[in-house]
Amino acid sequence: MTALDRVDAPLKVSGSAPYPSDFTLPDQVHAVLVQSTVAAGRISAIDTTAALAAPGVLAVITHENAPPLADLPMTPLGAPPRFPFKDDRIIHCGQHVAVVVAGTHEQAASAARLVQVSYETAKPVLDLDDPRAEVVDNGWGMEVDVGDAEAALSSAEITYEETFDIAPEANNPLGLFTTLASWDSDRLTVHDCSQWPIMTRQALATAFGLPESDVRVLVPYLGGGFGAGLRAWSHTLLAALAARVVGRPVKLVLTRPQMFTSVGHRARSRQRLRLGMTGAGRLVAIDQESTAALGAEEDNFSAVVLGTPHAYDCPNVATHDRQVRLNIPNPGFMRAPGHAEGNFALESALDELSYRVGIDPVELRLRNFAEVHPQSGLPWSSNALRECLQVGAERFGWRDRSPVPRSTRDGNWLVGYGMAGVTFGWYAAPCRARLSILASGTAVLKAAATDIGTGTYTIAAQQVAELLGLRVDQVRVEIGDSDLPPAPQSGGSGLAVALTGAIQVAAANLLRALLDEVAADARSPLRGRRLDEVTASDGRLHLIDDPAVGEKYADVLARHGLDELTADGELDLAAAAADAGVAPAGAFAARFAEVRVDEDLGLLRVTRLLSVVDGGRILNEKTARSQIIGGTVMGIGMAMFEEVAFDHATGRVANATFGDYLIPVNADVPDLDVVFVGGPDAFSPTGVKGLGEVGVVGVPAAIANAVYHATGRRIRSLPITIDQLM
Amino acid sequence: MSDALRQTPELVTLTVNGSVHQVQLDSRTTLLDALRDHLELSGTKKGCDQGACGACTVLLDGKRIVSCLVLAAQCEGREVTTVEGVTVDGRPHAVQEAFCRHDALQCGYCTPGQVMSAISLLAEGRAGSDDEIREFMSGNLCRCGAYPNIVAAIREVAGQEATSR
Repeated sequence: MTALDRVDAPLKVSGSAPYPSDFTLPDQVHAVLVQSTVAAGRISAIDTTAALAAPGVLAVITHENAPPLADLPMTPLGAPPRFPFKDDRIIHCGQHVAVVVAGTHEQAASAARLVQVSYETAKPVLDLDDPRAEVVDNGWGMEVDVGDAEAALSSAEITYEETFDIAPEANNPLGLFTTLASWDSDRLTVHDCSQWPIMTRQALATAFGLPESDVRVLVPYLGGGFGAGLRAWSHTLLAALAARVVGRPVKLVLTRPQMFTSVGHRARSRQRLRLGMTGAGRLVAIDQESTAALGAEEDNFSAVVLGTPHAYDCPNVATHDRQVRLNIPNPGFMRAPGHAEGNFALESALDELSYRVGIDPVELRLRNFAEVHPQSGLPWSSNALRECLQVGAERFGWRDRSPVPRSTRDGNWLVGYGMAGVTFGWYAAPCRARLSILASGTAVLKAAATDIGTGTYTIAAQQVAELLGLRVDQVRVEIGDSDLPPAPQSGGSGLAVALTGAIQVAAANLLRALLDEVAADARSPLRGRRLDEVTASDGRLHLIDDPAVGEKYADVLARHGLDELTADGELDLAAAAADAGVAPAGAFAARFAEVRVDEDLGLLRVTRLLSVVDGGRILNEKTARSQIIGGTVMGIGMAMFEEVAFDHATGRVANATFGDYLIPVNADVPDLDVVFVGGPDAFSPTGVKGLGEVGVVGVPAAIANAVYHATGRRIRSLPITIDQLM
Repeated sequence: MSDALRQTPELVTLTVNGSVHQVQLDSRTTLLDALRDHLELSGTKKGCDQGACGACTVLLDGKRIVSCLVLAAQCEGREVTTVEGVTVDGRPHAVQEAFCRHDALQCGYCTPGQVMSAISLLAEGRAGSDDEIREFMSGNLCRCGAYPNIVAAIREVAGQEATSR
């Protein structure tokens, strides 16, 4: 476990890492979007005369004059969003209705205000309980039904039933989503804020009827995504369309208010959770039902209850995922979808039950620990949840607390401790990586992956360096380009596992190719050697048994007149999982929070937060810790601050600025303690487990449980606001 | 023609990182857009364009400001310092080095603004305690949540400065 500095940190601290909005092309012009001010109805008229006459304006594109685009393809994460310029219908506030293209950004922005849109409005469906709303049941087909939860609930010694509400949240990466599109006859290049270049390429190729080889998506750096960059949003298509219409490169940068309505959000959800338990604190039934908002005309089924079925050992489990179609901007994916939400309900409920059965909350979770995967009955590939709980309790000083609510005071502050267990999911997608050794003896890795701040550049470079026996500075990592070998999205906590695994395969193939190269080379000390006889260090390949017998990569390549030697590696873990005989595990964690509440003023402060995480083998302690603290900060936001306020009458976002939509600032975050436990995962070829999302999960429950311990108030809706504390 | 459309091209003289630039600008151009779109200084980032996130923080006459809330034309005769201008003899600033060591960044988009704000904070003498650092760095949002590491980096530089004084 090394703690190497992030390899791209020098570029980032000096402002020289190029994000999509930092690129400028010769002859480039600017596009600005006009958005609907109503939530439902149709455009009855759209007058672009004044805008077209404004200085510098080159084009105003609307549904009336837009060249038609083909429907976008399905993706492995679900259906694409609806393209808004198909017709005159309006299905949500903030829907793009026109694109104004002008010579400068200032000209485009001021002309956009001259586009006159008239609407024939309809009454929008905005409430989860609106009887007019269409309901979709089990849209992802991921509901679980094991045993007989109803029967077990009716006969359980102790039963529990409560409802939990979670406000919609906006991903709000700091980087404004940008598309810079340019056409070279029928070839399209876009710089785009995508977490998934291969998906964006496929969407653009399909929309414009091009072969995928004629579309290139570039995103060497991304100013955050948190799931916002996992779908083919219409602003990307509109920028490409505008560039085609005006015949010049077009840059389109969303405004911060547009970020709230254009790139998805965590859907509002309500969960009804029923539990059955024995007097000894063993779970006998779980029935968890969620109802979440969905866009009016789309099928992005982001589940809410994903982690529950395999969180604890319970014989009777049923989950239900319902979506309700509303006239709201398309939800999408936001960090730890299905886990952050479902965990809040389950871990809050266990806390409540711990008081009812009189068992310590940590002990209650330990009693229900799942020794094997609860549904498959297979052994876990790794599971250190027990250690997470035990190490966390010890380190936090959990046993020192007085368990009675409202029993600890510090001046005006009521002090409380709370905790939560976390079982994250496992996800894998096929990945390819291309590895080359150059004549200089250095290496290059190529894959169409992205680094969204997670540390992909760094861990990939470390992995290559380790496998090829090079220093990290001898490895160049090329990612963020759809022309490179296909890699999965940065999303779902699956990239690190897939990419490092593919690199491992590529490295083995590359060393095998090198041995093949010298198989008949009389001058090579490695002639006739097999892969299992050799290892690499200090830029040379040598015998494991006799390190003196070997030679430098550079010498082999020079003698054989090669500029480079290249091999691909491919890994499909999802396919391999089918008959692996183990249940592949994601990360596990325990979160412990200390809060202080001033009831007179309704103040809530988080003063300590400990995360103990089983993330398998940790490749880089620095970037891994950053993933956890970053997720934790987002969890603090979910618990205490974040709520997209849709106006109940109009469906407009009433707080679409950073002044009004609160995210945690520096002063809201205490020092965060992070500890890693567990060891390499037995199924992941590199022992690595994904860490990108688990950091969020469990934070809201730990904070809400600490609030209960401090005040005796049980809060089941997020965010926790002043009015709930006074 | 409405007021919104009235654009007056102006020749503006800007002093940025010690270099004097004469640029023809639309009078509505902010300092942020002038830096990014006209002076090829894209290190300064746009996160909200509303003065609420701090990603565009630069120094104006040595004091930190959000460059999205200042018109370029207001900066004539004043010294602008951006993230591209804080290196010392070609070496990174101590704050930049500390940010790398402490992993005080993730996606890196807010980082130039954080660095500029931290440099100013140290000059203001506002790095006396962790709580003070947290409070006076709270105008710079980081959605990746690198805050504890940002505090650690600034704490380290403040400690070095105190020792060398």
